[in-house]
Amino acid sequence: MIVPLNHILLLSGLLFSLGMFCTLARRNLIMMLLGIEIMLNAAAVAFVGASLHWQQMEGQAIVIFILAVAATEVTIGLAAILVVYRRTDSVDPDMDAALWEKGGSR
Amino acid sequence: MQPATPLPNSLIVTAAALLLPLLAFGVIMLATRSRHRLSAAISIGAAGLSLLAAVYLLVQHWQMQAPLIFQAVWMVSGQMTIPIGILLDPISLSMFAVVAAISFLVQVYSLGYMAGDPGFGCYYGCMSLFAWAMLTLTVSSSLLQIYIFWELVGLASYLLIGFWFDKFSASEAGKKAFVMTRTGDVAFLLGLVLLWLQLGTLDIPVLTNPATVGAQLSPGMITLTALLIFGGIVGKSAQFPLLTWLPDAMEGPTPVSALLHSATMVAAGVYLFSRLFGFFSLSPTAMAVCLTIGTISMLLASTMAMVARDIKQVWAYSTISQLGFMLMGLGAGSLFAGAFHLITHAGFKALLFLCADVFIHHCGTNDMFEIGRQGGRRLKSAVVCTIIGAGALSGLPPLSGFFSKEMILGHLLDSGHPVAFLAAAVGAFLTTYYSFRLIFIILFPRDSGDAPPPESHDGHHHAGSEWPMTTVLWCLAGVTVVLGFFQTPLHDFLARAGTGFQAATPAHHSWLPVAACLLAAVAILQAWFEYGRKKARQIGWVEQIPFLADLFGQRWYLDRLYRYLLDTLVYRGVSRLFTANDRRVIDGALDGLGRSTIGLGRVIDWVHGGMIQYRLMIMVAAVIGLILFIGWGG
Amino acid sequence: MSILTLLFYAIALLIVVATAMAVTRRNMVHAVLYLVLSFFGTAMLFYLLGAPFLAALEIIIYAGAIMVLFLFLIMMIRLKTLPGMFFPVGQLLPAILISAGFLVVSSVMVGRNPAGWAPMPAAQASPLAFGVYLFQTHWLAVEIASMLLLVALVGAYVLGRRVRGPSADAREEAP
Repeated sequence: MIVPLNHILLLSGLLFSLGMFCTLARRNLIMMLLGIEIMLNAAAVAFVGASLHWQQMEGQAIVIFILAVAATEVTIGLAAILVVYRRTDSVDPDMDAALWEKGGSR
Repeated sequence: MQPATPLPNSLIVTAAALLLPLLAFGVIMLATRSRHRLSAAISIGAAGLSLLAAVYLLVQHWQMQAPLIFQAVWMVSGQMTIPIGILLDPISLSMFAVVAAISFLVQVYSLGYMAGDPGFGCYYGCMSLFAWAMLTLTVSSSLLQIYIFWELVGLASYLLIGFWFDKFSASEAGKKAFVMTRTGDVAFLLGLVLLWLQLGTLDIPVLTNPATVGAQLSPGMITLTALLIFGGIVGKSAQFPLLTWLPDAMEGPTPVSALLHSATMVAAGVYLFSRLFGFFSLSPTAMAVCLTIGTISMLLASTMAMVARDIKQVWAYSTISQLGFMLMGLGAGSLFAGAFHLITHAGFKALLFLCADVFIHHCGTNDMFEIGRQGGRRLKSAVVCTIIGAGALSGLPPLSGFFSKEMILGHLLDSGHPVAFLAAAVGAFLTTYYSFRLIFIILFPRDSGDAPPPESHDGHHHAGSEWPMTTVLWCLAGVTVVLGFFQTPLHDFLARAGTGFQAATPAHHSWLPVAACLLAAVAILQAWFEYGRKKARQIGWVEQIPFLADLFGQRWYLDRLYRYLLDTLVYRGVSRLFTANDRRVIDGALDGLGRSTIGLGRVIDWVHGGMIQYRLMIMVAAVIGLILFIGWGG
Repeated sequence: MSILTLLFYAIALLIVVATAMAVTRRNMVHAVLYLVLSFFGTAMLFYLLGAPFLAALEIIIYAGAIMVLFLFLIMMIRLKTLPGMFFPVGQLLPAILISAGFLVVSSVMVGRNPAGWAPMPAAQASPLAFGVYLFQTHWLAVEIASMLLLVALVGAYVLGRRVRGPSADAREEAP
């Protein structure tokens, strides 16, 4: 006998709000992406807990796809951040038009 | 309608006759435009073959009992099928032959007239276009097809009137002709749409069948559509009140005037009327309107012709008046009289125009007094042909005009229109008067004892190409002389058209020809008294009354009236409305659109740019709200 | 309270602390390393909850691949440390409010489910059974996911390419 499902869900919620805070508060695109990863991970935790609760492997299968989506998202996101960095010389999410024009327009 | 006689043969011949000019037009415009001789040869060849085909068809079907009709479906749209086809009956066959013949002759004539013109090839291209459109119009089997080619003919007319487009007045005249005929065509189109809505078909055999039309349409609707279609006829045939474009159209090359604006195109209106005679005769009101319009136009145009100095203008007015005459004949209920006059008129009016052209070409002026002074009478063949043509126009026996005119007069008398008959008699008198006024002015010039010899033989840019012109003149003159004697066979032929042809040959009033001749003689005498005799001052009685001279010379102020109406109604009324609409509604809407686009762009810019995390916060807050809503609300 | 329950709370504590540290680090390399620690914890949690295959994947993909990608990027770009406050107040307060709000709302939602308070029995899905299940039931989704990864590959290549253009020289000088 291990913990009840609600404890796992509460842990997941706590992780999710930590990730949300990271995404919302850090003035840094990379850290925002990191926050998103944390949130995805929190969702994965919730799914695994639910999978155990109902004794179904459905939840675990979803985690596989969450992994795939996370990998995709990170790949594209980091590439985009790289473009932004080359263009504006910063990773500040405050995308001022002035900053963009500094690097010239594509 | 069952096709009777050898179907494929006639169809092929007709189709060939129709397609050849089109082919010529295409080839000339696309390939050979710059090679003048070749273009002319192609065009004339096509016209000649069409003429041969027309003669063949005429001979083949001389004994025809029922009209031939070939139809194919052109397009289908839902419940609606639009057929395209060929309708061969005596009326269309005779008109077909007339058009083919005049086109051919005028094209041959143009060889001499247009020689050396830089637009020679183009000219023949346009002529071919016209020949194609006009020939197809005559044998069209449905009103829609007629309408299409009616407009094509109008286009050819516009192109040819404005042929010397570097001359301002010519391009203006082309525009005027186009716009004025279009005014009538709007009515025509409305009539067609109404008919289509009511009947679901525009086939001529159906329309001219009194039984079906009478059963499906109320009399008021018949009158309305007939009047609307008549509007198109008024525009095309230059009848009152749309008559002023025709004199202006004389800016074009004279052979064009001969072909389009006297013999064939303007006659298309009258032809349409005779085509739909069975339909029109269902509505007494429409017939009465037709008679009235014909009478008014005839009288107006005759009076205008009395004071004109320009030789082409005289014949243009005379064309209007003769077309009015035809409409009178038709309106009085005689299909044959109108159609017969149409055919004879095509012959002698083309002749008169071509003669006028010879004078103009040799003397370099349109003014008949000037022509007389420069010795126009020395152009023997032209003078003789003009006299023949004018004789026919005045209805002198034994020329063709005599027979047809006398028929119309007889019908007017028979059908109980005494006022119209009197008007027609006056019109005939005026016609004779102005025709011979012109002849006498040319024959007996004043103050020209030692006029310089005409530049006839060394003169213009086309020395050495006289023969086509004179040959054509004599051909037409011959036709004019003999055509009258074919009245009976023609009548028998046309009588087989069937519907709407019950009107019997009028009981001959034996006094009528004599009276007509007497009238003509009086008119000639008066013309002689005023212009011909030695001491005549060459000032007509009209010109001695300044009021009348002004009135007639200014075309009864019709143009001024139009200008005034245009200014007040269109420029000050409608166009002001449109301007306001343009400024307030359209410009305003566009400005507003632009402004709101910019505003929206700003909003979107604000949403997209700037701090993405604020947007993210809003998004997350919204999601939380959604969760609350679903969790507690739902 | 069994040993497994104790283990769960210990791991949960580790994860939360590591994540909180990661979120608040000014140095991004440190943040990433804390996050790697957090992901290790998550992997252990997965193992505890009966998903050994996912635990392995978590370590390989999340901790191994994704975090290393982050490290690459962080090392590729030389960031100047931004002047001013680390957490600007205008942004920090709403962020805290919203995150806390989410925490409260989700906790309340979770707490309203009475069935969730019963302790769960331990169970294990063997990697073999899981693989068979995945490819029998979700083969189409797996294919789609593979296509998605291919698209990500191409997209990353296109985005990361240096564009040779008229303004390329100007950009070369900038970094």
